[in-house]
Amino acid sequence: MKGTDRLRRLASYAFLAAFAIAAASCNEAHPNTTLVPHSDYGREIDFLWDRLLLLGTIVFVLVEAALIFIVIKYRRRDNHPTPPQTHGSTKLEITWTLIPAVILVFIAVPTVRTIFITQAQAAPGSLNIEVTGHQWWWEFRYPEYGVTTANEIYLPVGRTVNFRLRSADVIHSFWTPQLGGKRDVVTNRTNYLWYTPDSSTASSVWNGFCAEYCGASHANMRFRVFTVTPAQFASWVAGQKTPARFGAVATPAPTGGQNPPALEGSASGYIFPREKIPDYAVPHAPIPPGLKFTPGLTGNAARGKQVFSGAACIGCHSIAGNPVAMGVTGPNLTHVGSRSTIAAGRFPNAAAYLALWIKNARKMKPDVLMPTLGLDEYDPVLKAKVTAATGGLTDQQIADIVAYLTALK
Amino acid sequence: MATTAISTPAYGGEYSGEHSGLWSWLSTVDHKRIGILYLYTALFFFMFGGVEALILRAQLGAPNQHLVSAEFYNQLFTMHGTTMIFLAIMPLSSAFFNFLIPLQIGARDVAFPRLNAFSYWVYLFGGIFITVPILFAVAPNGGWFGYAPLTTKAYSPGINIDFWVIGLQVLGVSSLAAAFNFLTTIINLRAPGMTLMRMPMFTWMAFVVQFLLILAFPVITIALVFLLFDRFFGTNFYNTVSAGADPLLWQHLFWIFGHPEVYILVLPAFGLVSEVLPTYSKKPLFGYPVMVYSGILIAALGFGVWAHHMFAVGMGPIADTFFGLTTMLIAIPTGVKIFNWIATMAQGAIRYTTSMLFGIGLVALFTIGGISGIMHASPPADLQQTDTYFIVAHFHYVLFGGSIMGIFAGIYHYFPKIMGRLLDEKLGKIHFWLTFIAMNLTFFPMHFSGMLGMPRRIYTYDAGQGWDLYNAMSTVGAMIFPFAMLIFIYNFFKSRKSGEVAGSNPWGAGTLEWSIPSPPPEYNFAKIPTVTSRYPLWEGKEVDHESARINSQEGKTAAELGIVMPYNTIKPLLVALGLIVMFCGLMTTPILIAVGAALMVFSLYSWLLSPLEPEHH
Amino acid sequence: MTAPAARIPAVHTSAPAAHHYTTLGLDSRKVAIWAFIGSECMLFVSLISTYLIYKGRSVVGPFPHETWTDPATGRVLKPILNIPVTSASTFVLLMSSLFMVLALAAVQNKEKPKRTRGERILGNSKLWLWMTAIAGTTFLGFQAFEFTSFVHEGLTIRTNLFGSSFFTLTGFHGAHVTAGVLWLVTLLAIDYRRGLGSRDSLLVDIAALYWHFVDVIWIVIFTLVYLIK
Repeated sequence: MKGTDRLRRLASYAFLAAFAIAAASCNEAHPNTTLVPHSDYGREIDFLWDRLLLLGTIVFVLVEAALIFIVIKYRRRDNHPTPPQTHGSTKLEITWTLIPAVILVFIAVPTVRTIFITQAQAAPGSLNIEVTGHQWWWEFRYPEYGVTTANEIYLPVGRTVNFRLRSADVIHSFWTPQLGGKRDVVTNRTNYLWYTPDSSTASSVWNGFCAEYCGASHANMRFRVFTVTPAQFASWVAGQKTPARFGAVATPAPTGGQNPPALEGSASGYIFPREKIPDYAVPHAPIPPGLKFTPGLTGNAARGKQVFSGAACIGCHSIAGNPVAMGVTGPNLTHVGSRSTIAAGRFPNAAAYLALWIKNARKMKPDVLMPTLGLDEYDPVLKAKVTAATGGLTDQQIADIVAYLTALK
Repeated sequence: MATTAISTPAYGGEYSGEHSGLWSWLSTVDHKRIGILYLYTALFFFMFGGVEALILRAQLGAPNQHLVSAEFYNQLFTMHGTTMIFLAIMPLSSAFFNFLIPLQIGARDVAFPRLNAFSYWVYLFGGIFITVPILFAVAPNGGWFGYAPLTTKAYSPGINIDFWVIGLQVLGVSSLAAAFNFLTTIINLRAPGMTLMRMPMFTWMAFVVQFLLILAFPVITIALVFLLFDRFFGTNFYNTVSAGADPLLWQHLFWIFGHPEVYILVLPAFGLVSEVLPTYSKKPLFGYPVMVYSGILIAALGFGVWAHHMFAVGMGPIADTFFGLTTMLIAIPTGVKIFNWIATMAQGAIRYTTSMLFGIGLVALFTIGGISGIMHASPPADLQQTDTYFIVAHFHYVLFGGSIMGIFAGIYHYFPKIMGRLLDEKLGKIHFWLTFIAMNLTFFPMHFSGMLGMPRRIYTYDAGQGWDLYNAMSTVGAMIFPFAMLIFIYNFFKSRKSGEVAGSNPWGAGTLEWSIPSPPPEYNFAKIPTVTSRYPLWEGKEVDHESARINSQEGKTAAELGIVMPYNTIKPLLVALGLIVMFCGLMTTPILIAVGAALMVFSLYSWLLSPLEPEHH
Repeated sequence: MTAPAARIPAVHTSAPAAHHYTTLGLDSRKVAIWAFIGSECMLFVSLISTYLIYKGRSVVGPFPHETWTDPATGRVLKPILNIPVTSASTFVLLMSSLFMVLALAAVQNKEKPKRTRGERILGNSKLWLWMTAIAGTTFLGFQAFEFTSFVHEGLTIRTNLFGSSFFTLTGFHGAHVTAGVLWLVTLLAIDYRRGLGSRDSLLVDIAALYWHFVDVIWIVIFTLVYLIK
């Protein structure tokens, strides 16, 4: 009897625990849940999931209950007679082979249906986005609009977006859990993924992740998706299409009047308001210990543009409108000032972080390709200190670059 | 149960005189000793892999932690997987293959005793080779699955992956050699009257596993050869950058091996549980023929499901459909086994020994793992589940809740046969409950963190993502494991010396291995018995009493019985040493390659041209 | 109820199962060689599949069956496979299997009296073992010639997908042939030292099985790589 009581008590504790966990999951604080769909694709998958969960739970309960029941009921008691030496039962074998087979049919049929629906060609008129996975950031191009950006996408609600996925190096995986399933990003072939964000998702932010182990900073390869109204999307595109105003060379006033004012960037298109971004989309990664920046420096954007255009930066980065910045190895920085995060979702896009990033990117994010640039900083990949001879930048120079980049809205 | 005052030393009365000492272990060709060597080594690696996991869990216990660097974390998770699969679970199964198969089929040893020793030494040297690097933070860091092109030299220029490629090749040699051995043993050395359908279930599952091994390992051998050639000789197999290589070639080759591999990992545990449940229910296994056929079907179908690991890769709807359907199909024979185990216990007289608890634990926990597995089988649903912690939950339920629970059931059940003494039951039960609780507390929450969006293989995660609670629970759960293992280790060593003496059949079990003394004499059976049923010691009227009586006698040496035993020989160890030295040369200097090859070839010729045992007529 | 009588061939050389009972009445090494061959089949299936997957996908030449013009230098590279020469080496390897059959027969019938000159020749195990080994070595010679001429014509193991998969596949096969030749030489050494008789049939039988297997693999490779465009 003691054994039975103990088992019963344990079983009830286990159920309570499972229930508590389940209850805890149902509340709102799960910004990346796959269980609440927000797109047509998400709903297709969710239908399958619900059925799998239902059938799985039923099977679980039945099998475990049978197990627990039998294990308790057939305990050996004192003077227990020899049990019947049953060798088997063909009837039972057939039954418990057929029933699972039937259950599987209920899974297989909707599965095959969903496969063909979701892997059909995207609807004509879809918004095409070319996604290129790099170690460890995301390059996004809107070919129909001539927009190239990095680590952030804006999507109009109610319109199907068709992602064309390719990798520039190793295998990655493109995943926005709340909007749909994932698809691997592979070299030498193009994969496709499409979905239509629900209209109810206007003015929302979603987290995106790389979901295929791709090296040291796989965990740091994140992106943001902003689902906005079609009007806001059009405005954003208009802004992103144009070269950053800052990048334009200041032309002398043709009629001899005053030169145009010192260049300032300005938001030329819609940008999702920073203050509206929920906490789950704001990075909280701490700054690595030992990385410092001189306090109280003010950056000068015009000077920053000069430093930028003469430093290693232009080897990897492009800024439309800045004719010397045409590098393609790193993210396009034309409108970097408009983005909410830097370093592929690792840090907020704010001057303090940007400054530290430029100073020692490799310390901020393990093993990145971007070299350490701060003078006297230790480059953990090259295992050497940066000197003036190797192009090291002073804190003031970095502050200037930060001012320049921040203005590139 | 025998309580006769036999002067049985700590273990193995036979391991005395000229049979004791380090040299006797280095030169042994006795399957029982080799099994013990596998057991100790594998338990060590199991704990080593466990420590790697503890560090991982400590790092993931809270968001944005920096207990270990990203680089070291990636080495830890790679080595945790590699260690557990290749250095712990497979060799634990080998320990049982070695010790048990000849005893269960009524043979004196395996078909090729020296090849058997060779397999062990290759495993030991390969295991050391692939494990030492983590002590210097240059361990493999490409994941246990090593996807190219990440693992090519272009993206992994360091020596980490070199250790992985070479280490796995070496370990593959060990597994293949053992597979040829056990396959031949089971086919060809069964006692008279032991037809295939009278073999104990453990031997049956082991038999199926050997087929899986010989057919699956060559495929990963080639995958690794391609990677090795790419890294060392500049070939183009995975060169997607400039040679147009197929980025999916590695994945296909790897998973054609990798899926049968998971059945290699779990079927031996299934076999052990199929011995344990009937013994402690005091009735035969329910549905023996169906259990055999389902095992065969699982193995055969296991070669047709591999791309379910690749549903996100974009193979197209037809391939997705095919592999989704075959994966669902394989659930049927697997489920059938669960039902047969439950039916075995029904109407029985169940004794809650520690071994039985672990057996019941396997049935309970593997069911959960199997259900989550079916959930992955639907490709569209899998696109949310794959590469998340939901998968991590699934495979830990089937590998820990399945393989490990089964192996512990086997250890508690067979320890008396191996060591001659019983493990302490009280300590055993504490070990079981701590393990059961730790296992569920660690891995059940992962179902949630996975479906709530947490990707795999990330060294840290941000706060506010909704994953904190579950990670904290998993970390707490993980920290319980060391206590469970310490109790087990203490029990193991204490019982070896002073546990209750076991006698030949402490559990009243029905198969041949229980008809001989514990531990068995070096020749196993004084007289090879004739078998007429599946449970030779149970099925009343046809038990070969004469053989049983002769075989249970203790204290007789082989010489007294006129049985010829093989020579001890160090040659298998030398060939294994030559092999590892040769591979070390690949990473250092060609001189070592030559030295290793010379040692290998010379020792091999010496081995092949010398007799296994003394001449006899 | 009694144990079935086991017919076991009498082999004295390091044969553990020779005097022991076996379930199938076969020497364990016979069973093991079949398991080994099964495993090797999977090995070559993987190599051959990779070759076929990469067929026609090399970015640069030389190619096996087509001409290629190097866009950088304008050099024209002819199809690099030489079917006639390889047909000859294939023939040699096929003949070696015949010789192996004769060698095995000679060993099995060693004790039978030989009356005619023909019977003596057929019964000369050393002769046929030599012929097999020489044919195998000739095949390897052809392979070496082929490999070196390919390298001179601009195809190395690193050149392209074809080079990598071709050299690896045929190289593995060649390594297997080499191992087989060493095995044959060892048998010859035993034959010279103490003579191979019918009691050694198993040893030669196993070697023959391996040798025929390696030959069959070559036929598959020759067909898929050389003959089929």
